Amino acid sequence: MTETLLEIDNLNVDYETARGDLKALRDISFDVGRGEIVGIVGESGCGKSTLISSILRLTAPNTRFRQGEIRFKGEDLLRLPERKMRDLRGADISIVFQDPMQTHNPVLSIGRQMVDIQHRSRASKAEKRELASQMLGAVGIPDPEARLDQFPHEFSGGMRQRIAIAMALMSEPDLLIADEPTTALDATLEVQIIERLKELQQKFHCAILFISHHLGVIAELCDRVVVMYAGAVVESGDVREIFHNPKHPYTRRLIECDPGHIKERARVLPTIPGEVPDLAELPDGCVFRERCNQAVHRCASEVPPLELLKGGHYAACWLNRVEVEV
Amino acid sequence: MEKSRSEFSQIIRGIARDPLGLMGLIIVGTIVVCAVLAVWIVPYDPIALNIKDRLQGPSTAHLLGTDQLGRDTFSRVIMGGQVALKVALPAVFGAMAIGLTLGMIAGYGPRWLDNLLMLLFDTIRSFPTVMFALAVVALVGPSLQTVVFVVMATSIPTYGRVARTQTLTLRNSEFILAERSMGASVARILGVHMLPNIVGVLAVLAAMDIPTVIALEAGLSFLGLGVKPPTPSWGALLKDGYALIRQTPWLVVGGGLPIILATLGFTFLGESLRDVVDPKLRKQR
Repeated sequence: MTETLLEIDNLNVDYETARGDLKALRDISFDVGRGEIVGIVGESGCGKSTLISSILRLTAPNTRFRQGEIRFKGEDLLRLPERKMRDLRGADISIVFQDPMQTHNPVLSIGRQMVDIQHRSRASKAEKRELASQMLGAVGIPDPEARLDQFPHEFSGGMRQRIAIAMALMSEPDLLIADEPTTALDATLEVQIIERLKELQQKFHCAILFISHHLGVIAELCDRVVVMYAGAVVESGDVREIFHNPKHPYTRRLIECDPGHIKERARVLPTIPGEVPDLAELPDGCVFRERCNQAVHRCASEVPPLELLKGGHYAACWLNRVEVEV
Repeated sequence: MEKSRSEFSQIIRGIARDPLGLMGLIIVGTIVVCAVLAVWIVPYDPIALNIKDRLQGPSTAHLLGTDQLGRDTFSRVIMGGQVALKVALPAVFGAMAIGLTLGMIAGYGPRWLDNLLMLLFDTIRSFPTVMFALAVVALVGPSLQTVVFVVMATSIPTYGRVARTQTLTLRNSEFILAERSMGASVARILGVHMLPNIVGVLAVLAAMDIPTVIALEAGLSFLGLGVKPPTPSWGALLKDGYALIRQTPWLVVGGGLPIILATLGFTFLGESLRDVVDPKLRKQR
């Protein structure tokens, strides 16, 4: 096991709303090791975005950190003064956003933006420009030197996302957060970006926290995967283990619903019936119970804890208890 | 430095390609050149009296005739242009700089500060300009500086409001979030990333505002609230001409024509500038 870089320990985050506290994240715990690629999967509204903004501490004003720690290199980010937090952002932790059409300043040339984000470096302007051009070359933009003078609207979506990756990696961060970086792109570009990320990860040795709802991409890229549902971790472990031997009904259904997994031509694509429960008024027991087709009595009354099953594979489901009473 | 110069020449070339822009450029250029070189251009001292030659029509000696005190109207028009620019440029750029700063603070800062600044802007705007000018002139007396101050103070809210609206739209945009997540400070976000997005809009607003300010200065001078009498001003010329319109029409022409030309010139320039500075529009041409 390599050294841990990011440890999320029993994190509880609420949003204060007029309807009462919305429990966006509950008892989240997982680690990211140095140089490791960890995927986070879950449907919309399961708390993935809250998790990322909590790590970067760029949360909405009504966010309340109720409990838990986010330790980065041993330091609790939630207790760090704002000034120090800002020094981490873009230097040790950087992020690639979902929509490449929106992440660049429309009135500044790509070169200016890439030079500007090196504001911490003491290098001369020419050296910064040189590095910018090298990074563009590294993410596969042809003729990088000339393209530095172009504006964002002169690039295609796939290119802009590669530029965003180049900008995120420029400071050689220890942790790169990728927030659904391929969702806004079409399928062929998705493969390209994933391949590029893999290559760059080997070159820069950074850890990647890869958020996606596309299971195929996660399987392709990640070492480990964390499955989230309604603000809680329901299963986590080695990618191969989770995909071949899922131990939580939600993960199983998620894999079944992945179009890449369906062998025969289906008239209707499978879905998981029901909706994510209201996070302001959580039901008793397991959050997935109402949509689960294997629920037993115990699921209605007690919340299943996230338990270690074997070798790094965790799941939160009563069905994994041997002594389960039906 | 070299890069910004080429950007500037690009903008000028862009304006010149547009027929209206070219016209604006020529008119504004002429006014500016005349104002700068005024001392060498004027054939007579614009405030020298010559009662013998009063109220003459145009002639080779006096291109636009003379006024009731025998002063050469052409010389007064040229010098009046200098006065107009001396009021318009500092007032507009001062108002733009202050409005931009306050507007960005209001848009990006905490809610209470926003409310406070908005209250201030609304208070200033609720004064009728002429009433405000009357009050200030009554307090400190008419002078060039007073006019500049009055015009600047009354136009700050316009720039402030536009800058604030732009900032509010931008602060929630994803690229600003991206910058924040890359560790950019508030100063960097405002100065490097938001400013270029706002300044184009404000520059256009300023170019469109210059004619209004020139007209305002003329209006104040016409009412006797502007620059002090011996100093030539287009508004003062118009006022003298208005009183003597039955004796000679040339004073009204001398005072009115430059105001019309300057207004048209700066408006053409402003509209053309708006089309050129926006990189999102630039692609489509």
